[in-house]
Amino acid sequence: MKDEIMAEIEDQELIHGLTAEFDSVDSLLTACRRVRDAGFTRTDAFTPFPVHGIDKALGIRPTKLPWISLTGGVIGCLTGLAMEVWMNGINYQYIISGKPFISLPAFIPVSFELTILLAAFSSFLGMLALNRLPRFSNPLFTNPRFDRATDDRFFLFIDSKDPRFELEGARKLLSDCGSQHVDPVVEDNSSATVPRPFFYVLCTLAILALVPPVVIARMRVTRSGSPRFHIFYDMDFSPAKDAQTKTTLFADGRSMRPDVPGTVARGQLEYGLDFNTGIDMEALAAIDPERAQRLVGAFQPPAEEPAEEAPAEDTPAVEEVPAEDEPAEQPPAEEEPAEEEPADDKPAEDKPAEDKPAEDKPADDKPADDKPAEEKPAEEKPADEEPMEEKPADDKPAEEKPAEEKPADAKPMAEEKPAEEQPAEEAPAAEPPVDSLTVDNTPWLKTNPLSITMAKLERGQQQFNIYCAVCHGRDGSGSGLVAQRAQKILSPTWVPPTKLYNVDLGPEQYPDGKLFNTITHGIRKMPGYGAQIKAEDRWAIVAYLRALQASRNADALVDLVPEGQRSELKSMQEAVKQRLEEEAQKAAEAANKSAEDAPKTALQNS
Amino acid sequence: MSHSEPIKLKAPDHESLQLPASMANLALPLLGGGGLVLLIGWAIGTATEEGVRYAMLAYLSAFMFCITVSLGSLFFVIIQHLSRAGWSATVRRTTELLASAMPLLAVMFVPILIAVWVGGETMYAWRGEAFHELEVAEAKSLYLNPLFFTVRAVFCFGAWILLARYFCGMSKRQDETGEVKLTEKMQFWSGPAVIVFGLTASIAAFDWIMSLAPLWFSTMFGVYIFAGSVLSSLAACTVLVYWFQSQGKVKDEITVEHYHDLGKLIFGFIVFWAYISFSQYMLIWYANIPEETEWFFLRQEHGWATISIILILLHWLLPFLAMLSRNLRRSPRWVFGWSLYLLVMHFIDLFWSIMPQASETLGPSGGGLGMLSVILCGVGMTALYLGGVFKLAADVPLIPVRDPRLVESIAFENI
Repeated sequence: MKDEIMAEIEDQELIHGLTAEFDSVDSLLTACRRVRDAGFTRTDAFTPFPVHGIDKALGIRPTKLPWISLTGGVIGCLTGLAMEVWMNGINYQYIISGKPFISLPAFIPVSFELTILLAAFSSFLGMLALNRLPRFSNPLFTNPRFDRATDDRFFLFIDSKDPRFELEGARKLLSDCGSQHVDPVVEDNSSATVPRPFFYVLCTLAILALVPPVVIARMRVTRSGSPRFHIFYDMDFSPAKDAQTKTTLFADGRSMRPDVPGTVARGQLEYGLDFNTGIDMEALAAIDPERAQRLVGAFQPPAEEPAEEAPAEDTPAVEEVPAEDEPAEQPPAEEEPAEEEPADDKPAEDKPAEDKPAEDKPADDKPADDKPAEEKPAEEKPADEEPMEEKPADDKPAEEKPAEEKPADAKPMAEEKPAEEQPAEEAPAAEPPVDSLTVDNTPWLKTNPLSITMAKLERGQQQFNIYCAVCHGRDGSGSGLVAQRAQKILSPTWVPPTKLYNVDLGPEQYPDGKLFNTITHGIRKMPGYGAQIKAEDRWAIVAYLRALQASRNADALVDLVPEGQRSELKSMQEAVKQRLEEEAQKAAEAANKSAEDAPKTALQNS
Repeated sequence: MSHSEPIKLKAPDHESLQLPASMANLALPLLGGGGLVLLIGWAIGTATEEGVRYAMLAYLSAFMFCITVSLGSLFFVIIQHLSRAGWSATVRRTTELLASAMPLLAVMFVPILIAVWVGGETMYAWRGEAFHELEVAEAKSLYLNPLFFTVRAVFCFGAWILLARYFCGMSKRQDETGEVKLTEKMQFWSGPAVIVFGLTASIAAFDWIMSLAPLWFSTMFGVYIFAGSVLSSLAACTVLVYWFQSQGKVKDEITVEHYHDLGKLIFGFIVFWAYISFSQYMLIWYANIPEETEWFFLRQEHGWATISIILILLHWLLPFLAMLSRNLRRSPRWVFGWSLYLLVMHFIDLFWSIMPQASETLGPSGGGLGMLSVILCGVGMTALYLGGVFKLAADVPLIPVRDPRLVESIAFENI
């Protein structure tokens, strides 16, 4: 058989090498040594099981693989370190657990894992590459005898590319080693073209694979009225949150009875209602007993409180507004009620719900209202300077039940005044920031119910630095880390935090109770912190805020300083001004730093 | 070695399988001299500012060094049977010898027991008045009291001596009978033995070192001491084997392949030690709870920070980078050199774990005298221990001559 094949293969180019078959490990190892000693270097052995020492017998040099693994490991380690240093130390500095921005011990676990990962990957891929794998076929497989290499035979292979290879000589050497079967390995000259069907299937799959990205790309550029399609559900509306079965315990589908409105469960109201709402409830009850009752009711089930915020923003807008404003009209408001007073209850209801939309479609809404003329100015003013709306915030607790249960109620109301319907639907979408506060006649608490001590102020400062400073900045200037970051990346949905020492937020314009309420329920983009900060601490924050405001508007408070020290203060102030001027000049020179110095110059001007 | 050359086993009483005379003759001088040096070291310790307390902790450091080597060796022996390892048969005898000196170490523990019973808070602060005034003392005293402490120590030493006698004794018996059954028996008992070992080793680490700071606790501390223990025993095994060979013994039986494997294990345990010590440190560092940071805080003060950094760089980084090299691991001389080095590092590791507790202010140098005391105690105790090992080794061949896996082990090749 050998000779037949040899006869066929006249052209030596076609010979890939020679294999010799052996019966035992020992004969293979002996042959290996002889071949090695004969000076062959491009050799290989094939055995059914690992044979220790065969590398040495064949004279195979140690593999380069460890160097590839080491390189991968080092790259992984450096990547991990560089990534963490860049992310947490440079690009997005954030204090975590009070550690430095670049904190090696905290970085080691990630670097370690990446070291292992990349070392393993590079070992695996390097092994494949060094073995020239994967490949579909090997010329050795053309010899049917070679199948026994995985069974009970041992093969030695000499490559024809070996510089010492010479067919007859090599064959003689292998035969001398005791091999009964020395066969030439023929180059596999079968066609290398990919079979057609395989090609077609591959093409089809490739085209099909393009479909999802194309669909996604199209969805991203087209408008649609239907809700967004989520590949991965947000936790907020994950189906996992839905109950799997409906309860039949009560006819209305509830599993518990709601608390009776107007009652307070034991232990639920530690400091009284005023303390927890920031509203003088007695006064409110006199003005608007209904709302007062609702507020009382809302404070009973504390579990439901957090749930209120989300729904309150959307659907209940219709309900909310009337609730807020109706009472507002009756007593004379303290702030800027002049314009409002003449207005009736009804028009007042519409305003907050409409806010912007009202301006957009005056044709629809205004005629429907009783006195549209008065509303407009009322809306615009607040929108300009102080667009805060504590109403939704305020009412959320009160409205929570209506929001869930009586969407039906909203409809009839809307029917009464068709004008309301549109704004009600659009209001949430149209952006809340432009809500009006003109009609806020809520009797906010004017004084902090806490007795202010240094300890309370420090507590307030501490809580402020934890919860508020991330956006508002430690000085209340709105320069917190989150705000800085948002401005840096030009976040399109970002509403800059208010400067907390604005005069609009002073004790006159913005009573303590209202401030408390804003902290509790949030405002515009600011979320409510009622669930996170205890009421007592919220009041402490309010107290601290007043101190913060006083520190930033110190000129007005100079009378509080004892006579003797005023001149000293004056000279210090002069020095500071001078210093600031110098700084400002320097800053002006360095053009790119001007933004940073802006607050200082502003301060100096005031 | 290869499969093609049949392996001829030497007769059990072959001259090259016996402990070299030079080493056998060292046994008594080592025992005597070691004891003397230990005493001198202890006496110098009492001359420091902290007096007997410093001397006792120097003694404890030296004792822990020897007991960790011995314990690591015991673990090595057990784990070879548990995994039915073939490669290690030739070097296993060396670790058996290191482990079977356990009774000697039990005797060396007596001074510590005496210090606990009669010395008050000389060694362990939980014996002191100040500790018992603390609120936690009531609960902690259930565990940290002299009686229970002694019971645990007796239990630990009992278990270790039993295990060492069993595994080393069976192996010695096999030298004479050659019964395969003995190996099977040892394999059967190796599983439960590992569990007992894990429990007792943790108790030892908690009781003898961790309770020096009675308010501090780390559940990882047992593993930390264990990691150093196995590392040091592998290093000690390599050193002894190299020593035997340098005296012309067991040259055919222990080959470069065994050094290679020992080197791999040493490399692995260098990383394991670093992994465990870092894990212990990082959790405490990150949580930053006062009751936990106390221990590391002490080791950043009064010059201990230098030792801490030395441990990171020289106990882990340097040997790690060195032992990465396959060429190095296949060079008996280099593996021997690094093993000696790692034994020194292990002693520094224990020194760092124990000695900061000796004095609030003295620092690593211990005012000069302290350092001298620690070194002399370490050298003395090690010599004493080594003398004991040589004494035991004089009676038995240096390899398990009729182990069923001996041929496999001698023929062993890594690739």
